[in-house]
Amino acid sequence: MSYKIIQSLDKILRFPEAKAHCDVPCGIYDPISAQIDALTVVRMMDLMDGFTSGDEKPRMDFHNSMSRYVAVKEQHAENAKHEIRVIWGDFIKDAHVEKYPQLPGLVHKIMQLGSKCRQTADRDHGLALVDAINEFAEIFWAIKDVKTKKAKAPYAPALEMVYPDL
Amino acid sequence: MIKIIKVTGSSLSPFFLPGEYVIVWRAPRKHKTLSPGDYVVFNHDQFGLLIKKVILNDPSGNYIETEGIHPDSLSSQKIGKIPYSDIIGKVINRIHPKTS
Repeated sequence: MSYKIIQSLDKILRFPEAKAHCDVPCGIYDPISAQIDALTVVRMMDLMDGFTSGDEKPRMDFHNSMSRYVAVKEQHAENAKHEIRVIWGDFIKDAHVEKYPQLPGLVHKIMQLGSKCRQTADRDHGLALVDAINEFAEIFWAIKDVKTKKAKAPYAPALEMVYPDL
Repeated sequence: MIKIIKVTGSSLSPFFLPGEYVIVWRAPRKHKTLSPGDYVVFNHDQFGLLIKKVILNDPSGNYIETEGIHPDSLSSQKIGKIPYSDIIGKVINRIHPKTS
């Protein structure tokens, strides 16, 4: 009933329209966000590990800092999954999967590793997430005919990353 | 101040469906209280009037970040930070044929 009233009013008043989805084909996709998110996850794990020794544990600052590290680790692990899902859903096409049949398994692996990184503080899971997203980045840039190079990230935890070789 | 806006596109489906209307509360002083999970309507320089879900509200009170919930929606990476000045308001109610 109220919908019909509003619909009738809309015909007269022309309410503004808000797009829930934009079809602008901007074509801007880059796995670097997910790569940096994964790096951040490892960095938070390293900071957390450094904090669990010493006498500072009972101090409020300790709990404050530890909470922040965990929160950032949570956020970036989820961001990494989100960014990969966007490229997977919006950019990757059937022809790409045919050429790189390991892609579905790799994306699934990234989703699982991202969750593991949220559930635990195990650095090995963080390293595995960085490796898996680097592998994804390598395939992504190959699809775009862009050469890649491997180089250490210029910030802690200074892991080897895949970058476009422009 | 209340504003009625019509939703187009499927980025927020199945939560919001194309063709339904949302009631937006315009209260610039309340932007700081927006929380992740709230739905907002805002003006975007490139994409025009958009409705998206808040994923982050800048603690210093300058901007929000948003996303859609449909896999085909624009990523927050592409939408970028939305300054408070571009926010029209928070969605406080919806009017859909199936729910009204």
